[in-house]
Amino acid sequence: MINRPETRDLLAEARQVLFDSLVPELGGERKYEALMIANAMGMAIREQEQKEAGEPESTDVMLSRFLAGHVLPEDPGQGEQTLARALRERVVDGGDRELREVLRAMTETRLKVNNPGYLK
Amino acid sequence: MSALEDTFATFIARQTGASDATVVSFDKLSGGAIQDNFGLTLDLEGGNRPGRHEFVVRQDAPSGVAESLTRPQEFRVLQAAFGAGVTAPEPLWLCEDPVVTGQVFYVMARAAGSASPRMLVKSEFTDEQRRALVRTFGAELARLHSVRPPDDSLDFLSMPNPDNPALSRVALYRRYLEEIGEPHPVLEWALNWLEDNAPELGPTVLCHCDFRTGNYMISGDRLTAILDWEFAAWSDPCEDLGWLCSRSWRFGADEREVGGIGDKQDLLDGYREVTGASISPARVNYWEVMALVRWAAIALQQARRHMSGEQRSLELALTGRMVAQMEYDLLNQIQELEDGNDQST
Repeated sequence: MINRPETRDLLAEARQVLFDSLVPELGGERKYEALMIANAMGMAIREQEQKEAGEPESTDVMLSRFLAGHVLPEDPGQGEQTLARALRERVVDGGDRELREVLRAMTETRLKVNNPGYLK
Repeated sequence: MSALEDTFATFIARQTGASDATVVSFDKLSGGAIQDNFGLTLDLEGGNRPGRHEFVVRQDAPSGVAESLTRPQEFRVLQAAFGAGVTAPEPLWLCEDPVVTGQVFYVMARAAGSASPRMLVKSEFTDEQRRALVRTFGAELARLHSVRPPDDSLDFLSMPNPDNPALSRVALYRRYLEEIGEPHPVLEWALNWLEDNAPELGPTVLCHCDFRTGNYMISGDRLTAILDWEFAAWSDPCEDLGWLCSRSWRFGADEREVGGIGDKQDLLDGYREVTGASISPARVNYWEVMALVRWAAIALQQARRHMSGEQRSLELALTGRMVAQMEYDLLNQIQELEDGNDQST
């Protein structure tokens, strides 16, 4: 079904109105709240863009490949759960270079949505 | 005059023996989901404190869920810190009789200045002012850390693992993660690192456990009060130093390791001037990593309060999305420590 403009477009435009028209009129606690709303909308927009680019899937593939090589995945559908448990149970060596790469990829994928300005 | 300000004014008049207490101003102060803080200025007539006084009254919020210290415990910690010469608001009177307002509360002196982190970090201090301020932080913590167990007035504070307070923290944060019930591989990995790299046992002292930019007041270039004592605990002195230096509390001024204000060496110099003992920067680095894990665990708990419906809040929801920042900092900081390239040592 076609339903246009698309969600991302709607959100981006609404966020722009918030910034251009509302935020300059507000002060104190209300301004802080408006900026929080803009922040949440920004995350929703970036998350949608990231999904469209297939980025979360490629991180999941990287994780699955690591688990297949290092841990017996009891539940391959819950990759992060399996990795967290393997780390808690000390099944995986914390110094493993490939592990570090997987952890970094997962973190950066989330950070690109939550706060891309934080990435150095 | 509202019933509440009237009640507080009457309570203070009774404590000071004043024949009359006139309310000059009364307002609810910002900050604190578990506590309500009220600013109260009174003109007291007679008694042992005649004249105009500015007070802060701190009481449990009606919906308060206290995982931290209770108000009477917090009052006793404040007394211990103030007694040790720490620049904390002078604790004045505790009211444990719930008949008075329906909640337990205490009264302390109000400090001048601002605690706003953004404002403070953007302040155009000179290098000399920054050095002096950060040295003061070190000296304040050194005075606080002179309070050591056993202390009968603080018998409600539990003792950490006698072999190592750091391992007590690792166990606690693992339990937090279990309770949250979401997988967080970076935090699990960092907790393993903290377990494997726990420093040798140091002294066990009274720690503030939340001394960071945002929780102290500055007036001009002067520290006027260290606030928010509800997380105080017996722990390793470096827990406080590491928390203050954590990357999470620099508010954009990343190059200034001590709360976005100044340099770590000045902090440690200020500490040494009071104690005579040098602190190893490596121990502080270790507790900075611990601080990142702790803040991540707290942020997850806050997001959980939103998601469970216990307290729907955009701010709590967004706090949950901040965890990726702490995880990113953990990956970088542990790598730097392992490489021996940490610029802060």
